[in-house]
Amino acid sequence: MDSNKKYWKGLEELNKTPEFVEKNKHEFAEPIPIEEVLSGGGLSAKTPRRDFLKALGFGVGAVTLAACQKVPVHKSIPYLIKPEEVTPGVANYYSSTYDGSAILVKTREGRPIKVEGNPNDLLSKGGLSAQAQASVLELYDTSRIKDPQQNGNDSSWGSVDAFVKSELAAIAASGKTISIVTSTIHSPSTQAVIADFILKYPTAKHVSYDAVSYTGIIKANQNSFGKAVLPHYNFDKADIIVSFGADFLGTWISGEEFTRQYVSNRNNKSLEAKKMSRHIQFETGMSMTGTNADVRVAIKPSEEGPALVNLYNALSGTTLPGSKKLTTANADKAILLVATELKAAKGKALVVCGSNDVAAQVLVNAINSLLGSYGTTINLDNPSRQYAGNDGEIVDFITQAKNGTVGAAIFLDANPAYDYHSADAVKDALKNVRLKVSLSDHADETTTLCNVVAPNHHYLESWGDDSSVEGYYTIMQPTINPVNNTRQAEQSLLVWSDNAVKDYYTYVRNNWNTNLLAKGGLSGQAGWETLLQTGFVLAAPVAAGTYTFNQDLNAVAQTIQSQSAKLVAGDNKFELQVYQSVGMRDGKKANNPWLQELPDPVSKVTWDNYAAMSPSDIKRLSLDEFEVVEIEANGYKISLPVLSQPGQAPGTVSVAVGYGRTAAGLVGNNVGKNAYPFYTFSNGTFQTAAIANLNGTGDIFPLSQTQTHHSIEGRNIIREATFTEYKKDASVNSGSHGEHKEYDLWEGSKDDEIHARPVYDWVMAIDLNACTGCGACVVACSAENNIPVVGKDEVGRRREMHWIRIDRYYSYNDDGNGNAVTKEREIAKLDDLNNVTVVHQPMLCQHCDHAPCETVCPVLATVHSSEGLNQMAYNRCVGTRYCANNCPYKVRRFNWFNYWNDSRFDNYLNNEHTQLVLNPDVTTRFRGVMEKCSMCVQRIQAGKLQAKIEKRPLKDGEVKVACQQTCSANAIVFGNRNDKTSEVYKALQSERTYYVLEELNVKPGIGYQVKVRNTSSELQA
Amino acid sequence: MASHNESIIREPLMTGKDITYAQITNDILLPVENKPNKAWWIGFTVASLGSLLWVVAISYTFWFGLGAWGLNKTIGWAWDITGFVWWVGIGHAGTLISAVLLLFRQNWRNSINRSAEAMTIFAVICAATYIVAHMGRPWLAYFTLPLPNQYGSLWVNWNSALMMDVFAISTYFSVSLLFWYTGLLPDIAAIRDRATGLRRRIYSIMSFGWTGSLKTWQRFETVSLILAGIATPLVLSVHTIVSFDFATSLVPGWHTTIFPPYFVAGAIFSGFAMVQTLLLVTRKVLGLENYITMFHIESMNKIILLTGSIVGVAYLTEFFIAWYSGSEYEQYTFLNRFIGPYWWAGCMMYGCNVIMTQVMWFKKVRTNIALSWGFSIIVNIGMWFERFVIIVTSLHRDYIPSSWAMFYPTWVDVSVFIGSIGIFFTMFLLFIRVLPSVAIAEVKLLLKSSSEQAKKKLIDEGHLEPAEVQYYKESLTKYDSVDMADYEKV
Repeated sequence: MDSNKKYWKGLEELNKTPEFVEKNKHEFAEPIPIEEVLSGGGLSAKTPRRDFLKALGFGVGAVTLAACQKVPVHKSIPYLIKPEEVTPGVANYYSSTYDGSAILVKTREGRPIKVEGNPNDLLSKGGLSAQAQASVLELYDTSRIKDPQQNGNDSSWGSVDAFVKSELAAIAASGKTISIVTSTIHSPSTQAVIADFILKYPTAKHVSYDAVSYTGIIKANQNSFGKAVLPHYNFDKADIIVSFGADFLGTWISGEEFTRQYVSNRNNKSLEAKKMSRHIQFETGMSMTGTNADVRVAIKPSEEGPALVNLYNALSGTTLPGSKKLTTANADKAILLVATELKAAKGKALVVCGSNDVAAQVLVNAINSLLGSYGTTINLDNPSRQYAGNDGEIVDFITQAKNGTVGAAIFLDANPAYDYHSADAVKDALKNVRLKVSLSDHADETTTLCNVVAPNHHYLESWGDDSSVEGYYTIMQPTINPVNNTRQAEQSLLVWSDNAVKDYYTYVRNNWNTNLLAKGGLSGQAGWETLLQTGFVLAAPVAAGTYTFNQDLNAVAQTIQSQSAKLVAGDNKFELQVYQSVGMRDGKKANNPWLQELPDPVSKVTWDNYAAMSPSDIKRLSLDEFEVVEIEANGYKISLPVLSQPGQAPGTVSVAVGYGRTAAGLVGNNVGKNAYPFYTFSNGTFQTAAIANLNGTGDIFPLSQTQTHHSIEGRNIIREATFTEYKKDASVNSGSHGEHKEYDLWEGSKDDEIHARPVYDWVMAIDLNACTGCGACVVACSAENNIPVVGKDEVGRRREMHWIRIDRYYSYNDDGNGNAVTKEREIAKLDDLNNVTVVHQPMLCQHCDHAPCETVCPVLATVHSSEGLNQMAYNRCVGTRYCANNCPYKVRRFNWFNYWNDSRFDNYLNNEHTQLVLNPDVTTRFRGVMEKCSMCVQRIQAGKLQAKIEKRPLKDGEVKVACQQTCSANAIVFGNRNDKTSEVYKALQSERTYYVLEELNVKPGIGYQVKVRNTSSELQA
Repeated sequence: MASHNESIIREPLMTGKDITYAQITNDILLPVENKPNKAWWIGFTVASLGSLLWVVAISYTFWFGLGAWGLNKTIGWAWDITGFVWWVGIGHAGTLISAVLLLFRQNWRNSINRSAEAMTIFAVICAATYIVAHMGRPWLAYFTLPLPNQYGSLWVNWNSALMMDVFAISTYFSVSLLFWYTGLLPDIAAIRDRATGLRRRIYSIMSFGWTGSLKTWQRFETVSLILAGIATPLVLSVHTIVSFDFATSLVPGWHTTIFPPYFVAGAIFSGFAMVQTLLLVTRKVLGLENYITMFHIESMNKIILLTGSIVGVAYLTEFFIAWYSGSEYEQYTFLNRFIGPYWWAGCMMYGCNVIMTQVMWFKKVRTNIALSWGFSIIVNIGMWFERFVIIVTSLHRDYIPSSWAMFYPTWVDVSVFIGSIGIFFTMFLLFIRVLPSVAIAEVKLLLKSSSEQAKKKLIDEGHLEPAEVQYYKESLTKYDSVDMADYEKV
């Protein structure tokens, strides 16, 4: 039904007004101003259409442009043809050699990232020094010279070769000398190359010298036995070792090897056999070896000679001319007692002396001959080749150069402008040399004086070989293509001498094929390949002959006495001793931040050298801590902060060489002061002691120490015993008195299951009697775990990042009753701080089973694994630092800054090139994150994975943590406690085992073994 | 309001003659409704500069990392957590005054609770900034909240006292804010009723539509009581949990069961000192002598004396227990407070908190405004040092002597702390400009019963025991706002 209703919208419609009717005709009641908008009128409106479009257009354009900021593109190029041997994520190991030790170089995706000891190495059996560990970083040093240079400008090899060859020809024709100045070269092939070079240029001469020299010993052996060699010492065959200032565990000749030998008579195995050597050290400054001695007697440098004379007198029963009592009564008595002990141990005794004086070493030879050491503890027939430099040669070279008889000087691994005692003499002399060629890969002090720089490869880029000991030959193979436009020094010499063999690799192979492979029973291609895998050949050693000293000693004694008399300092003067620090050694590696930041084993100072003085002298001169003193000797003056060194002989001051480099690179420049100029050349060798004036300046130069409190405050964190006590009761002072009831809040709870270790329980045992405190583990750990270097300022703020540290404690024995004084307040009352004993304690995360850090983390960023590891989840950490506060061992490290991307740390590891050294298996940590020892969890995982792939259980010893691996003393044992046959389980079963702070019941996973000292009550007093 | 007459021997809680309800409103709203005076501007400028310093120092820290502070591998907390605990402690007096004293019907709180509560809020804000700022990665602060996430069972650690802290502080802040704002409602309404224009609209919104009807007042009273009931345990719990940060650890000097009561007493101690510091100045500058009287000042001094003595006993107990425990580490730590390198910090702590406050036994000291103010500052300094000693002196020499270290503050440490004081005062000065610094409604409650004029009227009526009147008159002599001449005739 249709509706007839009518709806209307308004009265207008109802009434049908004319206006309405008119308007209703159109679609829109009111006209839309389209025309107006499209015509000019719209453009003058408030927001004209065109303006809008303009704004829109500009806006879109601007935003697009702004968004065009180039996003950094990180290209990762896959292998087009994958090298057969490279599997991404799997490391390759290549055998090579570092300083005569066989090593393994770990490479990842074509770049070397870590140096590890070859377990079969003759010297240290897999141990490596801090220097060797750190050497990999030098490959990535941005201060290395990148191109050959002529007169300070980059050049090409072709032009350098042409220039050098024409110059050499001209010089040879003129009859002037061509000097090849090197430090000791013990590579047979390099020696051959130099020999070939000399054949080509008959006026050429090889000048071999060492910054820290052993010429004294070599010449003494020439004198005494007609053999100009550095003997090979056997500390493991000595029941009693007497050292006069020889830091044989650290810097003296072959520290790692001697450490291994020395510890073999003092470690757990030896102790269980009730056997322990006795070690007596007479020295001036407190050396690392001195800290390990059973008895240490502080003597002045001037007393060293007379002490040797007295010892000889006591042993031989004669009296050499000029013999007199020592000024230190204690030392005098000690010499006599030592003589008695040495006599009793004839054939199993060893006397070594760190002096570079020929006379002193001749006397030492005489003493060792009396003791029957030749053929037993000293081997002259398989001598060491580690040092063969002759101090006289460099002195002669400089004299001749000054006289203008030297036409060319080629420097290889030698830096006389820094380490010669008179750098000015070197500079003056070189002015008169026509051709100066540096083969250094760094623009060091000498290189900057040269007109040609032919930069050498890093050893990890090189072919080569080495022979540190007679009969032991190691091979060096490259592990990476040369990073820079450098060329191996030997190659340069081959080119310049127009050698028939054009490249050094062939030269090395030829040399091995004809001379060396046969020594190891190898031959041909197969032999060469075997060599590349094993890394060395070892010829059967020549039987060590016995030698008897039968020279007249009167003249020697007189020389010694007169040398000694020259060193006796008058009133207000000091006897200055110049030594090598364990970290920096001769200073060649001063540009290595890992070594600069490695705390000195004794003083715990980083990034500086200092004037070590006895506390009593400091008190007497009223010097403040770290007050800068001016030391003047031999007309040379340096200002160094003073360090109070307990055990330093009163009246003496010790300064380390190796610092004060001016052209080492960004890291090493102007760190500390150069002490080489204190050397003097006398009696054919460099002498390391002098009389010094010493004046306080009142300025304070704070040293950055990683440890500033030096005593244990009577706490039982260090437990020690004497060998006599130990023999009576093996568990003496270890606190292990059988089982005791353990109370556990969580017993029987679910937590108990959480604490179950079904398969692996990773733990560690550290033998305090084996650890010498050298700190190689610290560098190894830094390399393995990408630990940032933070620099002097940050270390001074106590913010070093090392995951493992060596705590060093002093204790004093004042009353002679063997009651050690270890409390700060009591120490302050002592008059005599020279009767000091030292202990080293490696400290790292203890991986406590009841870890106090874990309970306090608000976000569960640190938790326990079912394998007994205390793990850090860096991603989860918000950085409250509560865990570090609650860690009783203080082993947690906080990233105070973004060490990997903060311009203030640029010089260390913080640049794209250097960061290629980082271990890709370990993440770098961002700022604000806590980190700590992970027990090399990446190695554990890799080991487990390998075992799994091979479908077998993990074997004990298969996984080695970085600190353990590098320890020549084998002081650190790591493994699975659940495996009752494991080394670590056995080590922890030792009666000597104790746990640091075990009374807190945090159940640490690292057991320490009591330090045992083979003291002698008579000598102690 | 009260229909009965309060006993004459009780001291008046408000002084002044011919005070009316309107005058109370006028007096208290004087700073809110007028342009600020010179003193305020000077104070505000100084405080703002302090805040600016905070912004600079915190920005520097966030940009470069926590290494900007003087912390190190041994001392992971120093000025940061010292400042945090100090501020949280200061906040406690506000809650105590507003909640506990309300429950105990201590009417004298009515004049001071508003400022004290404001102080609580601002102090907790300052404390909270430290919680975030002390984190290595503050942008991940939300990790400390139990938020659902895609990582499966990744949760926060309820064993950690820091975790409890996050909740203790946030609960404390929200309850305090609620309590404070609820109390403000009738007063904001009063401002609204007198204001015009934009101000009126703003205060109108802020007053949540307060009508002033009987029902509104009844609900107001009920909510206040409920909130007081909720807030009261917080007075004890918050600082207990803060003390757990230390007590549940195993650092010698931290690991001790006495910490919860000791910290709570210390918090109230420092809080009252801060209230005293603020109110003595506010009272003078804003001319509130009639509302914040000598009675209030003395009462607060008594509480400071009491809590200071409790803290003193706690200190003695600590020393006794350290000796009695036989733990060499514990013993060393406490000995170290006196004879270690930080002996001076220990002296500041024990001297300022215990020895100095003992002079409050003397009435002359308690009722002397200058001395009271001086002591309130001393207590604040002492309590800062207490936290510094507990944190830094305990950490710097703990178990393994090789790691013993010293703490040297950097300019950033100092700036963050001074800056936090700047922030506190900026907020407080803004507060007294825009909100009544004395609870108007609650003070009005006192006018008819506990004010001087009410009591004067009673005396004038002459029905009282003369001895009691005499006693009352003597009690008035300490008031600096009472003119004793008025009483000579009586």
